[in-house]
Amino acid sequence: MFQYDFCQAKTSDDVCRFLDTYGEHGRVVAGGTDLLVQIRDKDRRFESITNIMDITPLETEMRYVKEDGDELEIGALCTHTDLENDPLIRQYLPLLGEACATVGSPQIRNRGTIGGSICNASPAADPLTPLVASDAKVIIKGISGTREVKLSDFYHGKGQTDLGRGEFVLAFRVRKLEHGTGSAFTKLGRRKALAISRLNAAVVMRVIEDGSVASVSIAPGCIFTVPERVAKAEEVLTGSKPSEEDFQKAGEAVSAEMIERTGIRWSTEYKKPAVEAIVRDALEKAYAKAVLASAGKSEVRK
Amino acid sequence: MKKIEVHFTLNGKETTVTVDPNERLLDLLRDDLHMTGTKEGCGVGECGACTVILDGKAVTSCLVPAGSGEGRCVVTIEGIGSDGKLDPIQEAILDHHALQCGFCTPGFIVSAKALLDENPDPTKEEIKRAISGNLCRCTGYEQLVEAIYDAAQELRNVSGSRKIS
Repeated sequence: MFQYDFCQAKTSDDVCRFLDTYGEHGRVVAGGTDLLVQIRDKDRRFESITNIMDITPLETEMRYVKEDGDELEIGALCTHTDLENDPLIRQYLPLLGEACATVGSPQIRNRGTIGGSICNASPAADPLTPLVASDAKVIIKGISGTREVKLSDFYHGKGQTDLGRGEFVLAFRVRKLEHGTGSAFTKLGRRKALAISRLNAAVVMRVIEDGSVASVSIAPGCIFTVPERVAKAEEVLTGSKPSEEDFQKAGEAVSAEMIERTGIRWSTEYKKPAVEAIVRDALEKAYAKAVLASAGKSEVRK
Repeated sequence: MKKIEVHFTLNGKETTVTVDPNERLLDLLRDDLHMTGTKEGCGVGECGACTVILDGKAVTSCLVPAGSGEGRCVVTIEGIGSDGKLDPIQEAILDHHALQCGFCTPGFIVSAKALLDENPDPTKEEIKRAISGNLCRCTGYEQLVEAIYDAAQELRNVSGSRKIS
């Protein structure tokens, strides 16, 4: 266990000042479900920490889900349990709630926050892939004001975020799923509870009346150092009525992308078919929901 | 490192403790207040032995900084049951012989209590999900599920509420 000083934030400006003052020696904590484990494990990356600021007192201003036109805004201090049960998330972004419901255990979901999950920058974070698939934006507060950055531009490498000195994440903005859209999140862990994702995938798909795919976004988790949609897999499906083989082909496009980026590893023999299956599952589920939705029996109600 | 003062409600009582800044809520309970009913198993949130109720929700106290307890309501195993009487969950666990070595038992009871406070009529599936963050290495899960299910029924009978199906 490292030694550090502890304080609590009273205002969001306190947080910026704290982070600006301490730089790499300062950390903010919310749920603590990652940080306290990293500290205990004497993770080298955290050796330099001398000061920790608890930001959970900012719950009143940072723990909310609200509608803003065709977008949802999600406060960074929402816990996984909050999002799993939130009526707006259920209606307009169900894949995020599904992903949050698979995080850790009830105890972890009750404490861990969406902001912490995204800023901890693990490629295996469950809520990450749904947000990537839905083209989420990150609202960042710093000393000189707030700015917005696309989630896909938020990571610079494994464990590295776009946050500069004195900056922290306030909230996320995500477009509500459109009419005729289906979505899915699938995950492969070593067991049902308390299992970190070995692989996961999130899909958002819109179909038109004849059953052809108007648009699809495919975000695989855990396999890239920086999370991203896979355009080559999306192209396989866009514009036509997909068959079962097409879903498989899209899965293969994802595994090909994985191998292209990370090379052949000892785990590839297992991961290649597993990635393909996880993506195919997500596509099949999302398509079935999208077909129902476009016929008016919608998952997403307007 | 500067000590910090934490003011919070513990098992219904206003409490103030001075602790080291890097303590966890678990350390505060066990080492500073000598309330050793809350157990430390893994220390990384995997086993659930240190589960307490924080503002109505089950959490693993090994992952809560002590200072984050400021102004919050904490219920530990010591706060479950009253006036020397066991809580119906505890009674049911005895009736079902739902413990072997007993180390994980406080954590399970606290998770069950958090569940039943929120959902007085859970299905067995909901019970299993609620205790999915608690490990029992003696593997007595079936008896625990039965015990919590019975306790829920007992609690509903006591409070006179009807089962809605």
